[in-house]
Amino acid sequence: MEELFAPPAYEWKRLSPKFRSMRILTSLTVTPVIFTIAALIVGVSSGRWWISGVIWAAAIVIVIIRVPFVIRSWRSWGYVERDDDLYITHGVMFRNLVAVPYGRMQLVEVESGPLERAFGLASVTLKTASPETGARIPGLTPEEATRLRDRLTELGEAHASGL
Amino acid sequence: MTSSQAPQPTSPADPEVSTTPGSATPTTASPAPVKQTERPHPLTPFVRGWLVFVAIAIGWGREIVTSAGENQFEPGGLSWILPILGVVVLLAAVTGFISWYFTRFVIDDEELRIETGAIFKKSTKIPFERLQSVDIIQPLAARMFGLAELRLDVGNSTTKLRYLSRSRASRFRDYLLARAQGHQASIQDLDQQSVASVFTDLGVADQPLVQVSPQRLIVSFLLSTEWLIPTAISIIILVVTATFGVVPLALGALIPLLIGMLSLIWRRVIGMFNFTLAESSRGLRITRGLTNLTSQSVPINRVQGVKTSQPLLWRALGWYRVDIDILGYAHGDGESNESTASSVLLPVADPDEVELALRRVLPGFDLDRIELHPSPKRARWLRWFDFWTLRYGWDDRILITEQGWLTHARDVVPHAKTQSVHVEQGPLQRLLRLADVHVHTPRGPVNAVAHQLDERSARELALTQLDRARAARTAEREHRAVNAVRIDDHEGEAELLAAFGTRRDQLLGSGGESEVFALDHDRVFRLYRSRHEAPRRTAVQLRGLYESWRGTEIGIELPLIIDAGERNGRFYTVDRRFSGLNFSTWLQSADMTERRPALISFLDATEQLQRLPRPVPGFARLIGEGAPQQFGTLSELLASMLRGPLQNSRAQLEHDLPGIDEVWNTLHGDLAQRSVTPAVVHGDVCPPNAYISKGPQGPVVTGIGDFSPHTVNADPLLDVAGALIFLELEPYADAPADAAWLEAVAVERHGREIVRWIDVYRRYYGFYFSNAYAFDPTLYAWCLRQLSR
Repeated sequence: MEELFAPPAYEWKRLSPKFRSMRILTSLTVTPVIFTIAALIVGVSSGRWWISGVIWAAAIVIVIIRVPFVIRSWRSWGYVERDDDLYITHGVMFRNLVAVPYGRMQLVEVESGPLERAFGLASVTLKTASPETGARIPGLTPEEATRLRDRLTELGEAHASGL
Repeated sequence: MTSSQAPQPTSPADPEVSTTPGSATPTTASPAPVKQTERPHPLTPFVRGWLVFVAIAIGWGREIVTSAGENQFEPGGLSWILPILGVVVLLAAVTGFISWYFTRFVIDDEELRIETGAIFKKSTKIPFERLQSVDIIQPLAARMFGLAELRLDVGNSTTKLRYLSRSRASRFRDYLLARAQGHQASIQDLDQQSVASVFTDLGVADQPLVQVSPQRLIVSFLLSTEWLIPTAISIIILVVTATFGVVPLALGALIPLLIGMLSLIWRRVIGMFNFTLAESSRGLRITRGLTNLTSQSVPINRVQGVKTSQPLLWRALGWYRVDIDILGYAHGDGESNESTASSVLLPVADPDEVELALRRVLPGFDLDRIELHPSPKRARWLRWFDFWTLRYGWDDRILITEQGWLTHARDVVPHAKTQSVHVEQGPLQRLLRLADVHVHTPRGPVNAVAHQLDERSARELALTQLDRARAARTAEREHRAVNAVRIDDHEGEAELLAAFGTRRDQLLGSGGESEVFALDHDRVFRLYRSRHEAPRRTAVQLRGLYESWRGTEIGIELPLIIDAGERNGRFYTVDRRFSGLNFSTWLQSADMTERRPALISFLDATEQLQRLPRPVPGFARLIGEGAPQQFGTLSELLASMLRGPLQNSRAQLEHDLPGIDEVWNTLHGDLAQRSVTPAVVHGDVCPPNAYISKGPQGPVVTGIGDFSPHTVNADPLLDVAGALIFLELEPYADAPADAAWLEAVAVERHGREIVRWIDVYRRYYGFYFSNAYAFDPTLYAWCLRQLSR
């Protein structure tokens, strides 16, 4: 199975472990917070606090199940710069492999939201003339993101081929 | 075939390549100090005011109609609205007048400039070569006044110029398209041109390729899935509510459905009425519309993919719909209202028309020859509703995917247009070892997805797709570069042609090395291209060769050079003109009953060539540096012939065909085994080099021309093989079938053993013409096919 998505004769580059920490942290906080709010509303309005207990228990179960998934999802990401194109793979349940030739890139974007900045992360997006391309690599260290951007722009210019 | 390719289809130009920036006008008159700008037609504000009025009337009318269901209609209550309406229309007319008053434009030999704005002045100057398309649009109101809007597409933005009188608009359009394609047209030249017809916007010179009759349009619409589904739903709703006696309840669902259906009628019937696809002097042109008339050019160099689709009920009638992806025409489903350029190439057409249109938008592609692979049987677990329709296939230039039962769609994407590739596999697909491959193209109706492939094929398709895309792009780019050289060739040419009493429009044919113009009934003028290495030597050697054959009667006409010389730095010869028509041109319009006997006569003529007296004994090169140059064996001669082309193409071949070394070694092994008496071999016997005339028993091939550096003393079977296999390159539909048939005829004549040698010579010619990768992707693709057999 793995071989379907393996890059030909190259090693995948993986995402920064900080991205894993960020994803674990968000799943550790977002789900419990939402469930807690729900539990409090139910408890306060009905007075039946055992229902809130069930909701909290559900939150804990979800978090326990979710964390390994987050780790697997982090592990599933990979990218590799080949001579003429960039390969990106991701997905645990739905697996994807995207290949973008450098000559087709119109734009390389580096983004970093507040949360990502707090973790020292950035993402790189490649745009081509096709809206479907969807080549985005999240969870890179800022140094790697800028290196990738500069490298890709340089390669894009070298391979530029018009339309 | 370098010397003798059939004329390239004059593809609508490529703004990137077309050199000639717009300043080289040979105006000798003193330049006017202030340029005369002009305003659009003075009726413009009225038309625009009228459009606003109509828009309000429709909106208001809709309000009344929808509210009529709930309240009683009160005419008295509406009288207050009339003054407001009057004020709005007046305001619209005033702003229309102001905007008209301050709009000025210049379209002349030097520039295209539009100035707008009363307070904030804006001046837009559009370089001619950036123009991507020029369309004419006529809303009903404008049409009644004989006005039209000129719409200029530049990159991603559109500039409108409204309104001009129809004849001016179409004249400007022709001029601007000519300039956009890099031609040195002058606006005065176009003033005398004929004006297009009112209903279809076709000029006298335009050739309609496909016209969709109203009957067919309406029937096809009524049978389309998009129409039948809402109709069926409406009927079901009505029947159900009627049986329970609660029809008014259904209105809530019916009204939106009805509006959707009306808009579908508007787009598919009213908008596509009188649909005509025509060949104009400036490329393909589409005109359509019942109330609003749209006339749109199809920029073929911007076509990114083609989709043919067929709703279920069209199958019995054999109808198809064709959409194209055009770069920059990113409008929703692309079907458009009155005002935007649409991506519909044919709303409904029969297979012949589809083929005609496809051959125009994908020139040089042979879709029928591509083998389509079905998805594996196990795909039925996931796509139980249409697994049998999922197919995909590719060759070295194009990818095809098919899918769908209710509406069967076939997406065609040239590799050169591939943006990126995506392999996708969901959990169920993983269980079944299946995967989808998406090939991304720019926004538009074409969406090439190979569904439910076997994992391994999916991987192979995806990983090799980008390599194929790269190879195709390289070929295309280099092809363009060659086109650019050809434009340079035209410098000072008009004068040269005039000196000999001919003109550019007398062009009979062109090849990689020369162009041929008619002089009179008996003579042609052959102008060598400036990049030809040694035209003088070639011409002198050919002249000697032709002279030595004078007096030898072999039953067919042979070429003769009457005069040769050099003028304005260009080398030319005056040749005897062959009687009859060019065989390649004739083949395209002939039907099978005439074609097959003519092909037999073509084979006969080819076989006659070996009776020509050899200028030197033994195996030899007859034209070229150091010619005549003799060789001891056939294999040495042919190896020497291949050295030149392979020097250029070796790296490319190694890239495109791994294992090419083995093909090369086998070829040499095979050639060493061939023992034969040498005879004169033309080296490039193909239909573009042959001529056909009417004989007593129908048309027969009566002449073979264009001997060239390919001409040698060698195995006469080389020419027989060439005549059979080059036929495959002819652009008419049945060419491959004819080639196979002619090969069977030749085998019957010469015996089974020639099959092997035809195959050997296929590989020889495959190597010999492989340097075509740099200028002729079709020929190069053919070479690769010969070498990978």
